[in-house]
Amino acid sequence: MRRALIVFAALLVTAACGGTQPAAPGQQASGGMSKVNAGVIAIVDTAPIHLGKAKGFFTEQKIDLTITSVPGGAASISGAVSGQFQFAFANTTSLLTAKQQGLDVKVVANGVSSTGQQGKDFSAVLVKPDSPIKTAKDLAGKKISVNQLKNIGDTTVRASVRNAGGDPTGIEFVELPFPDAPAALQSGQVDAIWVVEPFVSQAISQGARPVAWNFADAAPNLTVAMYFTTSRTDADLTSRFTAAMRKSLEYADEHPDEVREVLKTYTKIAPEVIAKINLPKWPVEVNKASVQTVADLALADGVLKEKIDVSALVP
Amino acid sequence: MTRLLYGLAGLGGLLALLEAVPRLGLVDERFLPPASLILSTLGAQLAAPQLWIALGETMGGWALGLAMAFCAAVVAGVVIGIVPGLRALTNSTIEFLRPIPSVALVPLATLLFGPSLGSTLMLVVYAAFWQVLIQVLYGVAAVDAVAYDTARSYGLSAWSRVRHLVWPTALPYVMTGLRLAAAVAFILAVTAELVIGSPGLGAEIQVAQSSGAVPTVYALIVVAGVVGIAVNAAVRLLERRVLAWHPAVRSEVAA
Repeated sequence: MRRALIVFAALLVTAACGGTQPAAPGQQASGGMSKVNAGVIAIVDTAPIHLGKAKGFFTEQKIDLTITSVPGGAASISGAVSGQFQFAFANTTSLLTAKQQGLDVKVVANGVSSTGQQGKDFSAVLVKPDSPIKTAKDLAGKKISVNQLKNIGDTTVRASVRNAGGDPTGIEFVELPFPDAPAALQSGQVDAIWVVEPFVSQAISQGARPVAWNFADAAPNLTVAMYFTTSRTDADLTSRFTAAMRKSLEYADEHPDEVREVLKTYTKIAPEVIAKINLPKWPVEVNKASVQTVADLALADGVLKEKIDVSALVP
Repeated sequence: MTRLLYGLAGLGGLLALLEAVPRLGLVDERFLPPASLILSTLGAQLAAPQLWIALGETMGGWALGLAMAFCAAVVAGVVIGIVPGLRALTNSTIEFLRPIPSVALVPLATLLFGPSLGSTLMLVVYAAFWQVLIQVLYGVAAVDAVAYDTARSYGLSAWSRVRHLVWPTALPYVMTGLRLAAAVAFILAVTAELVIGSPGLGAEIQVAQSSGAVPTVYALIVVAGVVGIAVNAAVRLLERRVLAWHPAVRSEVAA
């Protein structure tokens, strides 16, 4: 009996002492490889970095890349600012907001872009099949779910309504995670939902009807998200990461079949859904004009407090 | 034997209910898949290494956090319990800190450690520490005053008193604390992974959720439930062995 306790205590202490600290980030490891930890959300948008890692594009640049899944943009920004990640992925509005708050962030590569095509984008506003809402204009004054308030969702949905000739000021946005939105739409808690893939395809296959393609509406070839770093990361490593990332983006854009394959490795999206989702675009260059448009729209809607010069964020 | 049968029948009933509710259309099948689909998804998950790696990470964080909390709480509890005046001095602080829910530390953990083991440990240690500490304090307070004075007057050293009097008295309380802490630690480990994204079972659930893979979400929840039961059973077993000499346990065995 006493021995059992001693053995248990010994086990616990061993566990306590055996916890190894992760290697200090960003340092030169053996063989001249730089260890890099990137904070990335496990969604369709981030397929290029996973594909690029699998293809060895980062090893080519002497980067030993670890991809850490984060639950959202807030986690990737706080992780990068606190030094846990050397590079991370966040959407355009989150980065603009971070910049406005005086956080030390700067963009190093494009992340993901809208296809710009109505009906073939990875982001849409959906309504129930029998809903009286027929067009984006009818969304005025309705209750619409977004995954995060005061972010890229509400900004671009307002743009859709405005473009269609409606008045976006009366829209009531409610915060609902993407996975919960289809159920809320069906039970009538909201009039419309904004979701991205794979939820767009899922909802449509279950009968929901798209009424607006908000990313395509907001700006031509909208840059939706970007990879960024902080001023702590040294310039040489940054340029190597950028090079690897550009190659990964280009490769992903040209090989949609391989993108669908890599999605099976880091997401749990059902294979039959993967086969039919609308993939986003992965251009190599950030569309700075579209980022400026988002900044201006966010300012007009009061999401941002003052005008932001996008060149300060995107060099 | 009949208890086991009843238990199995109860579980079978639950499964039948989970199968029937979505099949009959009482709940939308998209949001609650039938039990058979959940279990077959679980089977596929069990065959893949990813689940086992995640489970290992969760259990590692759990064990490490529990060990740190347990050691710290036992030492702190005994010291506070036997040093005169210390109990009164620390009481208000303990009563202030103890009710703070560990999940309220999520933003702080995210900021300090991000999605890593550190966040898990922070939440687990905070939650488990108080569970053990309070029990240790009760245990030390339960030491018979006459026995304690007798030990003193016979000139037993402070260490001997702790070793031969305080510790055996407190041990049943300590084990209760450990049992409570083990369960709470597991809950917090999964919560940290789910909310902050620290690697482990919870993070797998989060990824499945953001992938819209509903059956996988439920399958992983089942795994978490089974592990929770296993954790509780293991600590109960340990408790029974460590306290085999204690009347409370002896009578339990006899019954």
